[in-house]
Amino acid sequence: MKKTHIPKLDDLLGGGVPAGSSIMFCANPGVDCEAFGYQMLNGLVKEGERGFIFTNVAEPDSIIYEFDSYGWDIVSAIENENVFFVDGSSSFIGAPSNAKYSFTDYSETEDVVLKAINDIPDGIAVINNLSTIIDYMGDLETVEIVKKWNKAAKENNTTIIYIFTEWDYEDSMVKKLKSSVDCVVELKTIEERVIVGQGFMVAGASWTEPLDTMILFFVIQPGGVKVYIPKILVTGPYNAGKSSFVKAISTKSVSVDRKAVGAFPTTIAMDIGHLDYKGFFADIFGTPGQERFDLILDVLSKEAVGAFIIIDSTAPQTFARAKEMIRKTRAEAIPKIIVANKQDLEGALSPDEIRDKMKLSKDIPIVPAVITEGKGTQECLDALLKLLYGD
Amino acid sequence: MVINLILRIQSGIPGLDQITADSKTGMGGIPENTATLVYGPPKVGKSIFCYQFMHGGLSLDEPCLYVLTDYGIKQLQQNTSDFGWELDNYIEKEMLYIVDAISSISGTKIINTENFSSSSVHNPTDIMVKLGVGTRYISQRSPRFRSILDSLTTLFAFNQELLIVRVLTAYIMRIREAGGTALITYTEGSADVKVETMLKAVVDNVIKLDGEYLTIEAMVGCGQKKAPYKITNEGIIIE
Amino acid sequence: MGRDNVIPLIETGIPGFENIIQDEDTGMGGVPENTTSLIYGPPNVGKSIFCYQFMYNGLLKNEPCLYITADYGMKQLEQRTMDFDWFLQNYTTNEMLYVIDALSNFSGAKKQDTNTYKLTAVHNPTDLMVKVGLGTRFVFQKSQKFRSVFDSLTIPFAFNPDKLVIRVLKAYTKRIKEAGGAAIITHTEGSVDENIESLLKDIVDNVFRMDGNKISTEKVVDYKKLESRYKITDKGILIGMG
Repeated sequence: MKKTHIPKLDDLLGGGVPAGSSIMFCANPGVDCEAFGYQMLNGLVKEGERGFIFTNVAEPDSIIYEFDSYGWDIVSAIENENVFFVDGSSSFIGAPSNAKYSFTDYSETEDVVLKAINDIPDGIAVINNLSTIIDYMGDLETVEIVKKWNKAAKENNTTIIYIFTEWDYEDSMVKKLKSSVDCVVELKTIEERVIVGQGFMVAGASWTEPLDTMILFFVIQPGGVKVYIPKILVTGPYNAGKSSFVKAISTKSVSVDRKAVGAFPTTIAMDIGHLDYKGFFADIFGTPGQERFDLILDVLSKEAVGAFIIIDSTAPQTFARAKEMIRKTRAEAIPKIIVANKQDLEGALSPDEIRDKMKLSKDIPIVPAVITEGKGTQECLDALLKLLYGD
Repeated sequence: MVINLILRIQSGIPGLDQITADSKTGMGGIPENTATLVYGPPKVGKSIFCYQFMHGGLSLDEPCLYVLTDYGIKQLQQNTSDFGWELDNYIEKEMLYIVDAISSISGTKIINTENFSSSSVHNPTDIMVKLGVGTRYISQRSPRFRSILDSLTTLFAFNQELLIVRVLTAYIMRIREAGGTALITYTEGSADVKVETMLKAVVDNVIKLDGEYLTIEAMVGCGQKKAPYKITNEGIIIE
Repeated sequence: MGRDNVIPLIETGIPGFENIIQDEDTGMGGVPENTTSLIYGPPNVGKSIFCYQFMYNGLLKNEPCLYITADYGMKQLEQRTMDFDWFLQNYTTNEMLYVIDALSNFSGAKKQDTNTYKLTAVHNPTDLMVKVGLGTRFVFQKSQKFRSVFDSLTIPFAFNPDKLVIRVLKAYTKRIKEAGGAAIITHTEGSVDENIESLLKDIVDNVFRMDGNKISTEKVVDYKKLESRYKITDKGILIGMG
């Protein structure tokens, strides 16, 4: 087995990728997918493997620059001839190339890559990017090329990694492409009007029954692909039930009261919890409700991927404050659920009445709850997951 | 009040700076740090336009990078000499950097010097490399310089057309970044009409010569202009 | 307002735009909010100037802008807008203008990314879309009302297969629309096959054609199609004069 060197991915794949197999990173447009191929190559080359990068989207020099910005040394591997380029980009823009292989016509792609695969038995091949080949070569032709490469790779025990940006192709072609490789890893955007996060998930692997879990990630320079532990915000006016809510949804939670927590003032009461629900895990942060703490709302809410706004259904006079907190925590831009708490008390307004009073748009779910009795909390989690990942 | 100052450089063509004059400032000439396409049918004076643009700059101490693809260095020296402009002096003074991409094709033996490079129209990549060297050489001598590519026609004949558009894009970006002002010539009809349209879109200014009239089809700070011209033993003169 | 179910207009910043699209009740002109518009026409008829004006007017009204330069670099964008006395420096500094520069990698100078300036390569659409994703999020967090410009498709067509450019355009317009922005995309008429050109027109909500003298609305949601003369002055495009 070869390690992927992508955090958590080896766990999902039952330990790694068998030598000689093909793996496709299949990305929604907008996902930083190139890093996956480069990181895998870098990790394996460090372990002493040999490899090459086929590129039709960037000149070797800019790829070397990119490796460098991730903090990975590819230059010495190139000097030792452990890594080389198959350059389908430079001549295309009239730039000089000193790659081991370079070509001027797209029709040469197939043969040149085959040659390169034969050069590195037991090695690693990175193909970046498959999508640019498709519109030059045609749908069916590309599927055939991929099959030939995979066959050659298998015979040579070369592991082949495809970077594929899934633009709006014909479904049937995408299906064929995906079924011609041993393993497909989907790289997805998580959206709430804008991209709020990225996740990867193994859609299938021929050697194992992969775990059905979405791992959130981000790509940083230096560093590369890192697993992201998302932050879920729990906010709302004073005394609406935030602490109880954090407790109710957390596997373990700490209420930090008058204790020093990192950079925050010692007088702030806040709740921190950890959620592990249906394969989704996240850190939960409860924000203070009093206005005198508003200044730190901004700090707390940075990087949150979702929010629960807890309101006291019997206290419409606090709704304006709730809306203000949505704004102050920048929760407008992330998926959010309004938790209409204290539904068991007399005078509690219904979700519809609340929506009307708060002038909330229809796409923001309002979930009735009695947090102290654990009623509605699961519905809240389901509603947020649905917003984050779809059905 | 703010006055927009589009800096202009003298074109070297008698009469052209007058018709391109800005109504507000009265300044005329080619907008500095832009790319200009000069196009038209064969034999209407496009190359002569280039010589004048080059010579006009040299006489103002603006060095010039010159890429030859239609005729070699010997021919360039001969042609300019016909108008009484001797280049030897400027080559010696390192004011001129020439990339000759055609002489090697005809088998003429030429020796590369510090400011003369031989290349080949078959090999746009090599031309780009030499251009990179030339741009550095020239821009070190003056922050204001001119760059001439005469012409695209032969390049289209020997290469895939879109490749030439891509190379041209990279070339223009390079000259603009270094502070230069570029002039590119092209013979109408020598490439696909779609490619011709792209060419006009890639540059900043478009000038057409048809043998009788010079038409400014596009130029920053100057509307469309048209004027008759003739070719004399002093070059193109706008009437 | 008066009429129901009509998409409100946002001002383009181009004087006389009411001659092209007009709100009959207020007499004001503009492009329909949260829609995408294609501006096409022959080379050098003022399509880019349209973009600068659209961007700059938004900035004046505190609407941030995501600007993709694919035909020229950041340096040219600053120079050309300055010709009209539109100065971008302040807007770059206060992060209201987010520029994705797809061409300066060819300039030979090593440039650095900043918070609001991202380099990409015109032949790497995957990377371009990563930057569009980041940029959309950035401007969206500044203001839910924002503008975006993609100027233009000409060079992308020279560096990529036609179909791939269409795919990128689809992904781009979807991204901007979902975030609530209004986008302008420019294209040089005649630089690609006609069938590709008509695909372009299908992707967007509105289509305007500029021919050097006339600007006409060929396609628009909810409003009447009109046309009018225009000219380019030192203050930008002026519609309805002469």
